[in-house]
Amino acid sequence: MLEFQKKNGLTCLTDCFQQSPLKASRALYLDDKEKATVYLMESSGGLVAGDRNEYKVHLKKQANVCLLQQSATKVYPSLNELSSAQHVSVQLDGGARLEWMPEAIIPFKDAKFNGDTMIRMKRDSTLLWGEIISPGREKRNECFYYDEFRSSFQIWVEEECLAYDTLHLSPTRMPLQQIGLLEKSLYIGSLWFVSPEVQSISIRDLHDKFKISKDINASVTGLEGKGLHFRWLATDLWALKKEMNKIWNQLT
Amino acid sequence: MSVQKEDSNNRLNTGGISTEQQLLHLFQIHDSAFPIGSYTQSFGMETYIQQNLITTKQELVDYCKSYLFYNLACGDAILVKESHQAAENKDYDKLVYLEQICNGMKLARELRSGSIKMGKQFLQTVLPLGESELMKEWKSRFDDKEIKGHYAVLYGIYTASHGIDKEKTVSRFLYASINGLIQNAVRAVPLGQNSGVQALYELLSLIEEAGNCVMNYTLDDLYNNALGIEMASMKHEYLFSRLFIS
Repeated sequence: MLEFQKKNGLTCLTDCFQQSPLKASRALYLDDKEKATVYLMESSGGLVAGDRNEYKVHLKKQANVCLLQQSATKVYPSLNELSSAQHVSVQLDGGARLEWMPEAIIPFKDAKFNGDTMIRMKRDSTLLWGEIISPGREKRNECFYYDEFRSSFQIWVEEECLAYDTLHLSPTRMPLQQIGLLEKSLYIGSLWFVSPEVQSISIRDLHDKFKISKDINASVTGLEGKGLHFRWLATDLWALKKEMNKIWNQLT
Repeated sequence: MSVQKEDSNNRLNTGGISTEQQLLHLFQIHDSAFPIGSYTQSFGMETYIQQNLITTKQELVDYCKSYLFYNLACGDAILVKESHQAAENKDYDKLVYLEQICNGMKLARELRSGSIKMGKQFLQTVLPLGESELMKEWKSRFDDKEIKGHYAVLYGIYTASHGIDKEKTVSRFLYASINGLIQNAVRAVPLGQNSGVQALYELLSLIEEAGNCVMNYTLDDLYNNALGIEMASMKHEYLFSRLFIS
C-alpha cells in the first residue's frame, strides 16, 4: 500500500505498508523535481500457483508519481491447478498524476494468471498506464503454452466507466491464431492516457507517427474526449517496446 | 407530437399479446426494414475487406465465427441477457451499471458511437408502438443524459417489457448481428447473394451453440478477446475511403 501526498511543492511517499516479496523503493527525484519515482520490486522471482500480489496506490491531491516495475512479472506453472493473482487498485484524487509502466507479464508453460486492475480517478487527474502481455518464454520456444490468462482492467472517471478491458486467453481452448483474434501476433501492448490534456492532442497526428511493419500493428482511439487508448499487436518484443516508449515520451 | 401520443394509445402495448404475436414482433424488430441502421455498420470488418483478408465465402465464415464467439457471445449478447433479466426485475441500478459497462467495453470510438446510434434509432422507432413503464423510465433517463442509450441494453429492456422469452431474445440478437454482417460483406467484398445465403446457413448451428453458451455466461464472462477485430475497428476511422460508418 502506497500513499503519496504533495507537501511544499514536493510529492512525498507519506505511507508505505509492504510485505515480502513485494517491496517499494524510497521516493527518488530524477529530472523532474516535483515528481516522485518509486521502483516496485518483487523479491521472490515470480508468482507461484496460488500466490496473490496486491498493490494499493493512493495519490492525494496534486501528487505527481511515476511507478516503475523493476523486472518482468513471471508467472510459474500451476501444478496445483490454482491461479496466480495480481490485484491493483489505484485512486487518484483531484489534480493528481500517475505514470505506471510495468515490464511484461510472462506466463510460463501451464501457468494460470488472474489479474485485476481498478483505477478510480477524478476528472482533473491524469493517468498514463502501460501494459505488455507476453505469450510466454519466446526465446525457449514456449509461446502460448500457458493454461489460462485472465485480466480485467477498468478506468472509472468519477461515475463514468471510461474503459472496461477484459481478456481471457486460453490457448488450448481457443483458436488464437484465427482471423479476428491474435492472428500472427505474440505480444499485446496497451497504453492508456486519461487527462484533461487530451482535449488539445491531435489523435490523427499520433496515429500518423505509428510505425507499422510485419512485426507490429498499432492503432489509437479517443475515449469520450477524456482519454486515449493505444493498442499494439506485435511479433517482436523489442520493436513493441520501442514504439510504446516513443508514444510514452510524447505524452510525458 | 400529438399524433405520436394518439398512436401510442392505439396499439401494440405490452399486456395481453399472445406468444405468437410476441415472436412475430421479435421478427419485426430484426427485419432489415426496421430502421436502426445496421446496414451502415461493419464493426471493423471493412478494414479486413480493404486489406483483402475477406475475399471468399470461407474467409467470411471464418471471420464470422471469430466475431460470433469472441466478440458477440462474450460481449453484447451477455449484456442483452443481463439487461433482459434486470428489466424483468425492474432493477434500474443494475441496468445503469450495464449501460456503463457496455460503454466502457467498446474501446474503439466508432464501435461506441455505432452502438449508441443504433440504440437511439431503435428507441425512436419503438416508442410510437406503445410505452411500457420500463421503456418510459429508460427514455426519461436518456432524455436526462443519465444514460447514453446503447443498443444491447435497450434491446434487452424492450424485449423484456414485451414479455419475449430471454433465450429467443439472445438467439435472435446473435442471428441478426451475424446476418447483418454477412449482408454487408455481400455488398462490400462483393460476394454473390448465394454465397451469403450459404455462409449464413453454415453458421446457424454455431449461432445456436453460441446462444447456449451465453445463457450460461454471467458478467464475469465479459471478455474482449477478438483483439484483431478491435484493432480493425480502431483503424477503420483512418481508412481513406469507407462504405460503412464503423
